[in-house]
Amino acid sequence: MNIIAPNAGKPLSLRGLSKHYATADGLVIEALKPIDLDIASGEFLVVVGPSGCGKSTLLNILAGLTPSSAGEARVGNILVQGPDIDRGMVFQDYALFPWLDVISNVEFGLERKGVPRRERRTIAMRYLEMVGLTDFAEKRPRELSGGMKQRVAIARTFATEPSIIFMDEPFGALDALTRRYLQHELLRIWQQHRKTVVFITHSVVEAIYLADRIVLMTARPGRIKSMIRIELPHPRDPISDEFRVIERQVYADLDEELAKSFRMEGRAPPPRR
Amino acid sequence: MTDAPAPAGARPSGTAARLFGQLAKLLSYLYAVIGVIAVWWAVVLIAKPHMSLLPSPLLTARTFVQLMASGELPSDAAYSICRVLAAWSLAALVAVPLGFAMGRWQRLERVLDPVVELFRPISPLAWIPLAILWFGIDEGGKIFVIFIGTFFPILLNTIAGAKTIDPVLIRAGRILGCADDASLFRKVVLPAALPQVIVGLRISFGTGWAAIIAAELVAARSGLGYLISNGMEVLRSDYVLVGMVTIGVIGVLFDTVFRIIDRRYNWMGE
Repeated sequence: MNIIAPNAGKPLSLRGLSKHYATADGLVIEALKPIDLDIASGEFLVVVGPSGCGKSTLLNILAGLTPSSAGEARVGNILVQGPDIDRGMVFQDYALFPWLDVISNVEFGLERKGVPRRERRTIAMRYLEMVGLTDFAEKRPRELSGGMKQRVAIARTFATEPSIIFMDEPFGALDALTRRYLQHELLRIWQQHRKTVVFITHSVVEAIYLADRIVLMTARPGRIKSMIRIELPHPRDPISDEFRVIERQVYADLDEELAKSFRMEGRAPPPRR
Repeated sequence: MTDAPAPAGARPSGTAARLFGQLAKLLSYLYAVIGVIAVWWAVVLIAKPHMSLLPSPLLTARTFVQLMASGELPSDAAYSICRVLAAWSLAALVAVPLGFAMGRWQRLERVLDPVVELFRPISPLAWIPLAILWFGIDEGGKIFVIFIGTFFPILLNTIAGAKTIDPVLIRAGRILGCADDASLFRKVVLPAALPQVIVGLRISFGTGWAAIIAAELVAARSGLGYLISNGMEVLRSDYVLVGMVTIGVIGVLFDTVFRIIDRRYNWMGE
């Protein structure tokens, strides 16, 4: 049924990757402790942790939007040194270009890659079909609901055929029903394309529903607390016993960190914008 | 599915509605014109002022036809329009790039902002005496005054537009292959800020158009401002009124053109 030739994902490896900031008053804040992590080609990795644990910082470093303070990340054997169209990203607030219609949004990256106009349109249309939005090709983003916007953003990201896709709480702003639907959609697309995915979320259920492996991060400074491999076959049933067992396990680890991060809130410097 | 409004476009009825809206707007202009003329005529009929103070609408219309036929009015209007267009384009040429630079580079903005704030409250009209001293009553002086008057609205709007771009769009642009600043500017920064830049261009044309009349009142031998001041000197208030009406009509025409352009390029909503 699908004619998209899958260009399989590449592995990602992190070696001693860390990040610290200096605040205006000269304090050095450690955001990420050195992290070592290997993500297999085509793996769906979900990162869960209390807010402020540096999940987003980690993702921005991997995407090349923020430099790390030390260590390195490699996609395949290419060192991450800046943003690259081979690494896609889906943002929580969609980040569609409001001055372009839906199809031109999907074409944006293709145009940057130098794909000729006609071919671009065909490819973009195919990816809009993948997310079920061909009828909306000529609409402006503001005419779409949140769930539809995120589907366009997913189409836009997959259209450039990246080796790896970073997703920063992509469904965090959506209502529960839309969210459930898009999780299902994302899994379907991922199973077809086998891209490597690094996905950030606050939701434990979402993490277990989607992940091959969950990485739990500690409260600031962020580091990996534990990793849980999820072997349940898809589609996973969030009210099954196996699911519940994993959920309990994740929450046990997470609660400890949450308590720590709440305790820290009293002492930590006020959150900076 | 939770999120699927009807895909079928309601385009034909939308076009009809828009046409109707424009017609209604035109009608409202017509009401305004009829109202003003009625009041004007009533005043003339009741108070019977001397012709050199307030001529009747009919006499003014006759003068208008006369001035059109003699070519005086078109030539004066053309002078005023050309001066504003020249100065305004010059101002845009400087203010738009500068505005983008100040909007995107905080350090530059921090240095230049106090200078801008210092000059901004000075009305362009306050520059007229200096302009006359420096340039005499040549074109240079008037262009200079209009340049000052149009420069700040363009600059401030461009800065605002460039500064308020959602940072996530910049990040999305970089992720999607805008590797260098030039392509990021062309593909993301410029289109994102464009509506605000157009607003600046439109507003500044209005201030420029108001300022040119003032500049011509004081220092010119041509233009609509000169037509008015000359009419006053020779006690021809019909010249003054013809000049004023022409100023109003041309102002509305240009504003309409800008609104059409604005609608074409503004992605911020209807």
